[in-house]
Order: sequence, then C-alpha cells, then structure tokens
Amino acid sequence: MNKWIYLLVLSITTSIAFSQSTVSGTVVDDADLPIPGVNIAIKGTTQGTVTNFDGEFTLQDVNNGDIIVFSYVGFKTQEIAYSGQDTIDVKLEVSAEALEEIVVIGYGAQSRQKVTGAVSSVDAESIQDLDPLNAASALQGTTAGVNVTPNSGSPGAESNIRIRGISTNGNSAPLIILDGFQYDGGLNSINPQDIESITVLKDAQAAIYGSVGANGVVLVETKTGKRNQNAVVTYNTYFGLQETTRKLPLLNANEYVLMLNESYANAGQTLPFPDISAIENDTDWQDEVLESAQIISHNVSIAGGSEKTDYSFSASHLDQEGIVAPEKSNFKRTTVKLSVNTDVRDFLNLKANVFHTNNRSKGINSFGLGSVLFNALNIAPIISRDRDNLDGTIDLGNEVVNPLTQINNTFNDFESNRLSGSFQAELEYIKDFKLTGRYGFNSSKLNNREFFPEFNFGTSKVFTRQENQVNLNQQDFYDYTFDLFHTIDKSFGEHDVTLTLGMTVFRSHGEGIFGSRTGVPNNSYSFADLGTATGTGDQQTNGSFVSEFRRLSYFGRLQYEFKEKYLLSAMLRRDTSNRFGPNNQTGWFPSVTTGWIISEEEFFDLGDWFNLAKFRASYGELGNDSIGDFLYSSLLNGEAEYVLGPDQSLVSGQALGPLANPDVKWETAKKLNFGLDLAFFDRDLSVTVDYYNNTRDDLLIPGIPVSGIFGVAAPGSSSPTLNAGSVENKGLEMAFNYSKIVDEDFSFNVAYNFSTINNEVTAINGAPFLEGGVFGVGQLPPSRMEVGQPIGYFYGLKTDGIFQNQAEVDAHPSQQALGASAQPGDIRFVDVNGDGTINEDDRTYIGDPIPDVTMGFNFTLNYKNFEFSTYSFANLGQEIVRNYERDQVNVNLLSRRLERWTGPGTSNTEPRVTAGANTNKVFSDYFVEDGSFLRVQTISLGYFFPEQILKPINASSIKVYAKIDNAFTFTEYSGYDPTASTGAPIGGGIDLGFYPLPRIYTLGLNVKF
Amino acid sequence: MLNFNFKKIMKMKSYKIILSLFAICIAISCSDEFVEENAPFQVNSDSFFLSETDYNNALIGAYDLLQATYVNVILGEIASDNTHAGGESATDVVGWQQVDRMQHTPVNDNLDDVWDFNFAGVYRASYIIENEANDVEFDGKAQIIAEARFLRAYFNFELVKWFGPIPIKPDGRFELGDELSLPRSPVEEVYTLIEDDLLKAIPDLAVQAPEVGRAPKAAAQALLGKVYLYQDKFAESAQQLQAVIDSGQYHLYGTRDGEDFLNLFEFFVENGPESVFEVQYSGAQGAGFGCLQCSEGNVAVGFSGVRGYNGPVYVSGFGFNLPTQETVDAFSDDDLRKELSILDIEAWKAEFEAQGQPVTYTIGNQDPVTGHTGFYNRKYIPRENEREPDGNLTHPNNYRAMRYADVLLMGAEALNRGGINDELARDYLNQVRERAGLDPVTSSGAQLLNDIYLDRRLELMGEGHRFFDLVRTGRAADVIDGFTPNKNEVFPVPFEEIQFSQGNWEQNPNY
Repeated sequence: MNKWIYLLVLSITTSIAFSQSTVSGTVVDDADLPIPGVNIAIKGTTQGTVTNFDGEFTLQDVNNGDIIVFSYVGFKTQEIAYSGQDTIDVKLEVSAEALEEIVVIGYGAQSRQKVTGAVSSVDAESIQDLDPLNAASALQGTTAGVNVTPNSGSPGAESNIRIRGISTNGNSAPLIILDGFQYDGGLNSINPQDIESITVLKDAQAAIYGSVGANGVVLVETKTGKRNQNAVVTYNTYFGLQETTRKLPLLNANEYVLMLNESYANAGQTLPFPDISAIENDTDWQDEVLESAQIISHNVSIAGGSEKTDYSFSASHLDQEGIVAPEKSNFKRTTVKLSVNTDVRDFLNLKANVFHTNNRSKGINSFGLGSVLFNALNIAPIISRDRDNLDGTIDLGNEVVNPLTQINNTFNDFESNRLSGSFQAELEYIKDFKLTGRYGFNSSKLNNREFFPEFNFGTSKVFTRQENQVNLNQQDFYDYTFDLFHTIDKSFGEHDVTLTLGMTVFRSHGEGIFGSRTGVPNNSYSFADLGTATGTGDQQTNGSFVSEFRRLSYFGRLQYEFKEKYLLSAMLRRDTSNRFGPNNQTGWFPSVTTGWIISEEEFFDLGDWFNLAKFRASYGELGNDSIGDFLYSSLLNGEAEYVLGPDQSLVSGQALGPLANPDVKWETAKKLNFGLDLAFFDRDLSVTVDYYNNTRDDLLIPGIPVSGIFGVAAPGSSSPTLNAGSVENKGLEMAFNYSKIVDEDFSFNVAYNFSTINNEVTAINGAPFLEGGVFGVGQLPPSRMEVGQPIGYFYGLKTDGIFQNQAEVDAHPSQQALGASAQPGDIRFVDVNGDGTINEDDRTYIGDPIPDVTMGFNFTLNYKNFEFSTYSFANLGQEIVRNYERDQVNVNLLSRRLERWTGPGTSNTEPRVTAGANTNKVFSDYFVEDGSFLRVQTISLGYFFPEQILKPINASSIKVYAKIDNAFTFTEYSGYDPTASTGAPIGGGIDLGFYPLPRIYTLGLNVKF
Repeated sequence: MLNFNFKKIMKMKSYKIILSLFAICIAISCSDEFVEENAPFQVNSDSFFLSETDYNNALIGAYDLLQATYVNVILGEIASDNTHAGGESATDVVGWQQVDRMQHTPVNDNLDDVWDFNFAGVYRASYIIENEANDVEFDGKAQIIAEARFLRAYFNFELVKWFGPIPIKPDGRFELGDELSLPRSPVEEVYTLIEDDLLKAIPDLAVQAPEVGRAPKAAAQALLGKVYLYQDKFAESAQQLQAVIDSGQYHLYGTRDGEDFLNLFEFFVENGPESVFEVQYSGAQGAGFGCLQCSEGNVAVGFSGVRGYNGPVYVSGFGFNLPTQETVDAFSDDDLRKELSILDIEAWKAEFEAQGQPVTYTIGNQDPVTGHTGFYNRKYIPRENEREPDGNLTHPNNYRAMRYADVLLMGAEALNRGGINDELARDYLNQVRERAGLDPVTSSGAQLLNDIYLDRRLELMGEGHRFFDLVRTGRAADVIDGFTPNKNEVFPVPFEEIQFSQGNWEQNPNY
C-alpha cells in the first residue's frame, strides 16, 4: 500500500516540478508568409528546433518560465516567455540593420550601405548553386570586373584571377586573405562548400593592404556555426561524368596520304607514298586519347551553437579523373575543417579555425610541344595505335611520339598536405575600444615523385631514354601572418567615427630538396626511389633551395560618417619588405574613399520606388611586391660545370646567377574609381555602376632582355629585374540584379553584369619594347609589351590573301628575307612599312589576348519545389594564337588544310602544301583567330522533396539535382577551348594544345538534418 | 556637436588602460630590422674571391662556356664550301639553312647564339681578371689569372672573326649602360686586346697544364700565332708557332709506334700528343633543348650524325653538316685523310651488308642546295657511347680546338707569306703530308702557298676553320656559292643587339 501511495505522490510531484510540455506554432514574416528555417531555442539550454517548409514548428520539453528565442537572418530576434501556451504563433519583423548586408573590408567589416569602395561579393548560395570544383570559378560571371581563366582543363589545375585587367607583366594574381590571414595556397585547395562569402576589393578600398593590394584583394570567409541553433548536419554528394567539349577536325589516313604526296610533289621531292593502296591503318588519335571520366564528391558538415559559442565542422572528398588518360591524370582532394567561436566573456571573444587539405594528383605532359594532346594532333593517322616505336614509319621529327605510348610511360605522383588556421582574440577593453590579435598560419608539405623509364620511342626521339631515372622533390613551406590592431568605434551626435590602427607581420619560409638517380631496378615505377636505384657517381644529382620572405606593415584607417549619409574613409599604410634593396625598402601607401548617400537627403524624393542612390569616389596608391627574392643581390647561384682530368669527370665551380639590380622596388598602382549604387522597388532591383582608371607605375619587369655582352646567356644566368614600365587600365563596370518573390510558390533572380577593359602600355624605360611568348620553333617572340598598345599584344606579319600565279609574285615585293622566295600558292604578306621588301620590319599589331568586354548572366528560378539556375559568361574581343601545329613536313594536318591552294583561283585563304622551304609558317595573322566566346557555364535543375517525405525521417531539406557544367560554348575559335591561356602577361593567349575543360554531367543530392 | 571635455577624459581611469595597452602593442611590435635579411645559404658577390677555392671555382665557370662554342664549329663548317646544312628538311634550323645559302640576315637565332655564348665566356673570364689585383694572395694565383686571360682572348677572337668590330673592356666585366656608350671597337683594337691578354698570359702559364683539359703555355702561344696570322703579321706569328713546334711537347699522331692516324678522333686518343688545346665534353649529365649552352656534351656531334642510323660503330643524329661531293673529290685517292674525315654512308652500308650486318638510315633534307649528299663528317659524328638523355645532345666527343698539325700548317704559311724561310715552311708542310700518306712537295713561293692552302682544307676538314681561312685570304667569293663580297666576310650583328644599343652600334655594312 505504501509503495503505491509513494509512487502516486512521486508522480504528482514530478509532474508538477517538471511540468514539461510541448508547444507548437507557426512563424511568419510581415507579409504573413511562412518562414522556413527559423531557429527556435530555449534560452540557456541546447534544446531547440527549426521551422519547416511551412513555417511550422514543434518544441518539446518546454518548462514553465522558459524563454523561447526565435531568430532568423534578416529579422529581429524575438523572445517569448512560455507559461503554458499550447501554440505560439510568431510574426517576425524585418530588421532594419539586417537589411544592410555586412561586407568584409579588410581588418574589419562594414554594412553594405556604408561601403565607399568598389566591392563585389559572391554569397554562399551562389557558390552552392555553381558548386564549382575550384572556388575561383565562383567569381567568373558573378562579379563584374573579375576575369577567371583556368590554367588548363587537367584535373586539379589552378585558375588565374585577374581583377580589372592585366596591370603588370609580372604576377597579376590578387592577394587572397582567408579568414583574415594571407593565403598563398591557391583557391583550388579550399573546399568550396566551406565558403560563406567571397568579397573582392577592386579599387583603393584595398589600400589597407598596402604593398600587396595592387592586384586587388579577394577576401574569403569560411562558414561558422550560428548561435542558438541546434546542430545542423548537412551532407552533399554528387557523381558526374566528364567528356571533352570538342574534338578538332583532322585529316584521316586517306586524306593524309594524298596531302603529303602533294606536298612533296610541290617541292620536287620523291613521293613518300608511291603506293597509296598499301596504307593499312587509319587511327583516330583523338578518339584514342580522349575518354569519358568520372568525378565524385562528398561533403559533410555539422554546425551549431549555443548562446555563447558556435562551432562548425566539415569534411569533404573530391575525386576527379582527367578526360585524357584518366588513370595517369587525376586529382583527389580531401579537406577537414573545424572552427569554433566563443564569447569567453562579454568583452572577450575567441575564434579558432583549423583546416587541413590533402591533394593527391597524377599528371601527364599537358601543355605545349611534346604534350600528349600535341602528339595526338600531329602524329600521322597511318600509324597503328599499338606502334610504340616509330622507327620505320614516316619521319615525324624528334618530338612527335605515339601519345598512347607516352601515356603508358608516364609515371608520377604529386601530393601536398596543407594545414592552415587562424586564432583570433578580440578584447573590448573599454566600451567602443577593441583590441584584436590574430595569428594565421599556413604550413604545407609538397612531395613529388617522377619516373622516366628506359624506353625507345624511336631513334633520335627526344623522349627516348637509354637509362631510366627517378626524380624526387620535397618542399616545405611555412608562413604566418600576425595582426595586432585597435578598432575604436565612437559616435558623437551625428558623427560616427571608426578608427583602426595596427600592424601586421608576415613571414614565409620555404625549403626544398630534390634528387635524381638513374638505374631503377627492373625499369619499373614500383622500385622508383632514390634509395633503391643503383646509379652511382655522376648518375646521382641533388639540389636544394631555401627561401625567406618578410614583410612588416603599419596601417591606420579612419572611417567617418556624418548624418549617416556623408561617408569618408582615409587609409595609410607603411610597408617594409626584404624583397627590396636597401635603397628602397620602405613604401607608403595612402588612399581616400568617399561616399554620398543621396537618397537620404531631404531633397531626394522621387517616390517609394527609388530606394537608394549612393555616389562613391575613391583614389589610392597601392603596391605590388610579387617579384623574386633578393634580386638586388649579386648571387653566385649560376651554373658552372666543366670536364677535367684524364677520366673526363664533371667538376663544379661557381658563377654569377641572374644579373642584380640594387635599386629594385615595388610597383605602384594608382587607382581612381567613381561609382554609383542604386536600388529600386523595395530593393528588388539593384544597379551598380563603376568607372575605374588605374595606372601601374614602376612595373617590375623580370628578365628584361639585355645585351648578350652581360653574360646573360651563360648557364644559370639571366637578365635582371628592373622597374621600367607603366600600364593603364580603364573601363566601365555595370551590374544589375533583380530578385522578385512573386508569391510563396514562385520567385526568381536575374543578374547581369558587364565590364569593359581598355588596356594600354604607357611607358617602358630603357627599352623600346619587351618581347615574350613562344611561337613555332626558332621564330622571333610573337608577343610584345610596347607603348601605345595593350600589354602582350601579338606582333607579326599581316597577310593579304594567297599568290595565285607567278605574275602576282613578281608584282609584289620580295619575301626572300623571311627565308625563302615566294611561289604561287604561298601567303602574301603586306609591306607595312612600304620599303619595298617583306621582312621582319613589316611586323605590326595583329591582335591581343585581352578581352574588350566581359559579361556575366545568371538566372535562378524557384517554383514550388523546383529550382532552376543557369550561369553564363562571355569574353569578347580577344584574340588567340593557334600554335599547336608542329612545323614539320610529315605531321598530320587540320582539316582546314583540305581547302589549300592547288592552282589559280582555288583558294585565297589556305596556302599550298609543300615540303620545300617556304615562308607560310612565319608568324602572321594566319595564325591569329578571334577568341570571343559565350559560355553557358552551368545549367542545373533541382527538386526539393516535400514535407511529407522529410517529416518521417526528421530531415529539414533534401534536394536532388541534375547539372551540366560547361554546357555550351559558342565561339568561332577552332581550337579546343577559347579560354586557353597561360595567363602570362606577355606571351599569354597562345594555344599550344591546351588541355580542354571537360563538360560534366552531374547528379547530386543535398541533405540537411 | 562634439562634446569634448579634455579634463574629464584625463580623469577617467580608462585612459590609463588605453595607454598601457598601446604600450604593450608597441613593445610586442617589430622594428624594421625584422626585414633585413640576407639570402639564406647563398654566396653573394661581396663574399666571393676571398680564397683560392673561389678563384678555382670561378675559373671552372669560365671554362664552362667553351662547351657552348660547338655552334662556332658547326656553323663555321656550314658557312664554308665544305658542307651542306642538311637536317630534317630545308627549313630545319632556319638560321643554319640561311647561312648555308649565304642568305642570312640580322634576324637569326643561331647567329645570336654565337654572339651570346661567346660574350658570356668573355664575361665570366673578365670577372676573374677584375679580381687580379685583390689582396688575396696564394701560390698559383698567377696561373689562374693567366688561364682567364687565355680564355678571354679565345672568346674575343671567335667574336671578332664572326662579327668584326665588337665592344671590349680590358679592365673587367661590362656594366649595365655600357651598351649605350661603349662603341664597337675597330678590329685592330680588338686584336690588340687579344694579343695583350695572350702576351700577359704566356709567361705565367705552366708548360704542363695543372689538369688535363686546362690550357698549357703552348695553347696560348699557338692561339697567339694564329691571331697574328689572321692579321698578316707573319714574323710575329712564325715566332710564336715555332716556340710550340720547338718545345718538343707535341707530335703528329700516327708517326710513332702504336699510333694509327685513323684513330685520331676516337675517344681513347682524346687529349693526346697532337692536341695543343681541346675543349672537353662529357656524357654524364642530361641536357635539353631549353638550354643548349648548358649541355656538358658536344651538341654539334649529335647534330652531325646520320639520321635514323642503325648499325655498327656509330649512332644516329640529326643529319646536319653534310660534306659535299666537291669536298670529297678534293682528296686524292691515297690521302688517308679522306677516310679519316668522310663517312660515305652507302659504301659503309655495302661493306657491312656484305658481311651480313645490316645498316639502315634515313634521309631528311633532300634539297639539292642544302640537303643530303651521301657523306657525313666522320671526325665529329656520334659513336656508340654511354650518355644521359637527351642522348642527341650529350655526346662526349672532345673538340680538338688546336691541333699540332694546324700549328705546323700555320707556321708554314707564316714563313712562306712573310718571305722568311720557304725551306722550313716546306718541311712543316711535308710533315703533315707524309703523315697523311702523301708524297712530299718540292714547291716554293706562290706554288708552295697554294699547296699549303689546299692541305689546310684537307687536314682541317670538318673542324670549323675553312670559312675563316677563305675570308682572311680573300678567296671566299670565288669558292662559296652566294657569297657577297663586302658583306659576307663578317656576319651581321644580331638585330636585338642593335636595338639594345639604341643607336650606339651600327650594323655591319650591307646588312
């Protein structure tokens, strides 16, 4: 009996004491539309939930007196005390503050409304839609004025990012700041799914980065957890198939044989194929070499937070095979990231992020003379695919080998492990006075192993090796960025002032060791290691390097606002760096950015439809210190080797390396920008217009060609780096963004941006021009940097049709000086300087690789549970040089050569084929093509599973999608890919057989719990 | 408006906190010294030439550029009437093809190489000579400086032969800006510098070079004799050359027991008794087309080999530098040098096929003016050997830069043309002829001179001297197809160099 009473009393008291209940309700916004994803938490606990697709929620285990917190981005947080209600319906108010998106601006953040510089950003949602392999691609077409071109289509390739044109003939890469610290590892090693936002500082706004800001600054912020949020688990995965976007039209075996016979006949030489019926093979080499390849990605992340702490954890794995030789060309990336942010006290906040990336890749020779694709384009179709040794077949010169054999004899392995992180403490030691200390570091270890087996590709082929060799290469890099700065935020009546004052230290240290050895046992990659190889004496080599870079900077920024509509920001930075000689070690970089929010003025009253008009102007001086190290020092790091002694052994000495320049200093960028930010229709439509004018002075010109009398041709020596030029870039950028929520089922977003670039070299001191780039073999450099022209323009002969008969040849100035007399069927060159002979002096501007206009167009649409998005971009007005046709009499030819001249009137565009001396291969506009293109980068269609499916498994969202990357490219360019470029300022835009970017068909799944 | 009560601010305790925090920051912060660093683990020019080892190492650096003079040898042959350019086709190595036809212009990558490589040699040798008067003293310093002077003279001599007037700087290296102000010194001044360097070097050079491959005294004397001969200074020339001949250090290979003349250019006779000076090469290090001047092997040898060759003794090459029929016919049938200098590929093939050993090869350039002749330059074509890839660029055949036979012939020429001693001249010539299996001559005067000229061609076939011999004796126009007098005696200064000088240097006449 007592037992029962006891139990009864116990149950009554417990139920009173823990009176736990369940409460449910709906959350809507001020238009009474339900808001999904609202965070609901019980204050002081880790309990919470999230509203579903219809804005409904159910919260368990709520006690009397608990405070329930409703929070969501863009709305004012509400707290409601629970006192036994069964339902709580909440209407959240739009937060005026939250309307102002917060933009990271370097050593701080600012609301978008108040930003006075030219700043563009890409948010996590766009990155999610684009789902790029390389985070850099998220900037292409989405940010005005930013041009991203891949280095190559091969897996794991990096991209070149150029902000507002090419302003230097040195390193044009912008500074990348990851969570506040300098990150030199390339955007390819960051998991795009970890990125919260990418912000690009395009004008003098970047001046706070002083001597590293001249090329623009890309600020990457990674995802963090959210306060007061239950842990959200996300899993994203996709599987894709890749294929080449194009195959070039080449001759087949029959056409090849006939063309070759004709070319020998035209030169008066014996026909190589007297009996054309004896041809046995007809190999389509591109088919043999290009395959479908797969790509798989997994990404999992967990993020959440309590009142004082938030955390996020993510891990990802990407596995991509190459469309050329997938087993020998592939890329795997594994990343892990952990970040924690906690308010230790009200006045002290600590943040810590750590990332680890492991990249593993294998590659094939993929760009230029001797690359796999180059061989596939040039090798004769009459050779069987199984023929490894080309002896006995037609003589194709010394480079062209069977590409399949080349693939089979390629062995390498590249691995990099990178650990990066940052630790930050923010201390508000007095109200409005904050001290921030931050330590960010990167540590990376690169390992590379290459094995070249003994193999006979054919007598006298450059790839033929009589001895095998293994090369090992290990490099270690460690760098850190230490920031210490004050931020003082004070308001005096209608004046708001923010002062940032501090210092940054950057140090980077690198070491590398390499070794090679011959005599690998069994000629097999399985034994390719320095310790196992058996070579001795001169058959073993080793080398090493040590690099050290240090920079010390002091900076200050004053941001002043008056009446919240007159904005001014002034910055000054002082940098010293060990790259600059003692004469020029310190640089000062000032800048000013101003803004006027016209729409806040009383006189501005055009109606409710015109929400924002802001005018911006900025001017600043920034620097670029990306040159080699210790160029002011005459180092004895040249090569000095001779052979002495009766046993003829190698002896080493010492000799001067690259010529020194004791006055070397940073490049200075002077940036002027005028901008207008407009918003209409409740900010549904926003328009941004910017006009920029950038001058880059004191261009650091590495290896400026100098006379041979300075010994620069000696082994290990080279020309000095001088500050010798200036370049100007100016243009207009416009970005339109229209986003509309029509009703709860239908919403869409349209964005369009374009920018123009007008690039001109304005001075080169000490030389009339600089040359660079490679065309053909033994020809003069095809690209120039010269006053009055765009940087890296193509300099060659102009053509004027084909000579149809001898009379035309005789009527025209002699072309003999180019190497051979002209004959009917040869290209006629224009006598540009009118001196009566055609020679190298008749070269002139025949194109340039810089686009005149770049555009992006993005469209996203949401209808019920479907989501459709497409991203495209276009570059117009640039030219590309076709340089993948080997100049050798027996190689295969592009199908366009079938249109060749064979007699008067047969062609005025394609010259005759001949094995004899001729001038048709001299660099001229015959090899320059229009590279303009429009690329539909992404088309994707996604479906969100409805509530009925989500509820039973407690998922908050499940999306399946199908996506095509690199869907269509509209271009007249005849090569594989019109984005082909090394990105070199002088010598870029020359296609040596660029590994094409693949088209990828993907199916993916995103799940959120 | 601003409400700034200074006194009130100062009373606040908080200001003390602010100040102390600023102070902490300044204490933690770095000074500019942080940035002052020397290149880690690197020698720079301030810390060089401080010890004997430094001088030795620098000397090796200067010798290194001798290996790049392969261009001088092969292009010198192609320019003359001895050989056709050859190659894969009539447009293979366009620069060489144009020189073969005497149609070269200032825009010529390969002539630019001749300029660049030889001036690089001058630069490295000058660096050592600059440091002659340092405080550093050690035994053997004079020898090293002397060798540096010899090398500078060697490179300058090549440059003046090829380009005529060139910039010179006796005190040391050229400095940035010199190309705008230093003139192309007239040929006489260049020769004066060369003579000066050699005259200073000769007393300090040892009779036996400290190591095989380095320059002995005789090398400088022989070079000086050659330099005098090129200027028609016959008495001085004869004096230097006779010093070499009378030293007794050298003899014609094949005239003593155990020596077979036909082996003169084989590996085991390298640095032999006939070599007064030899440029050393080795196959032990890899090379690539990206830096031909970096190769430790003899690039000219690989280029001269038989294309696609498969067979005994030799290995394949690129098929350049092909002796003409006319050249082959210049040898009389009993001249041993015919077999020494010329490989008749069809005859060779037939000889081995008769024994059942197959020989195959391919033909590249078939152009009648510059292409296949059926003959190859046997002295300097690739033999079977061990070497690193790229095998075509790393043949270890040494270049006999100065042979005793050449010394004898130059001596004969100087004695004859200077009217000094025809009998001795004839004696020298006949020593060479007898070794070659020919009967002695009895001529004198102008007839003897013709005999000397002919023998020079036959003896030194394939060694890069013919073109310059023809030019300096005024016979080039008669013998070389396409040779334009008052133009082709020298080669054009590279286009780039004229532009670098920004008007300071003028091009050679008629280019």
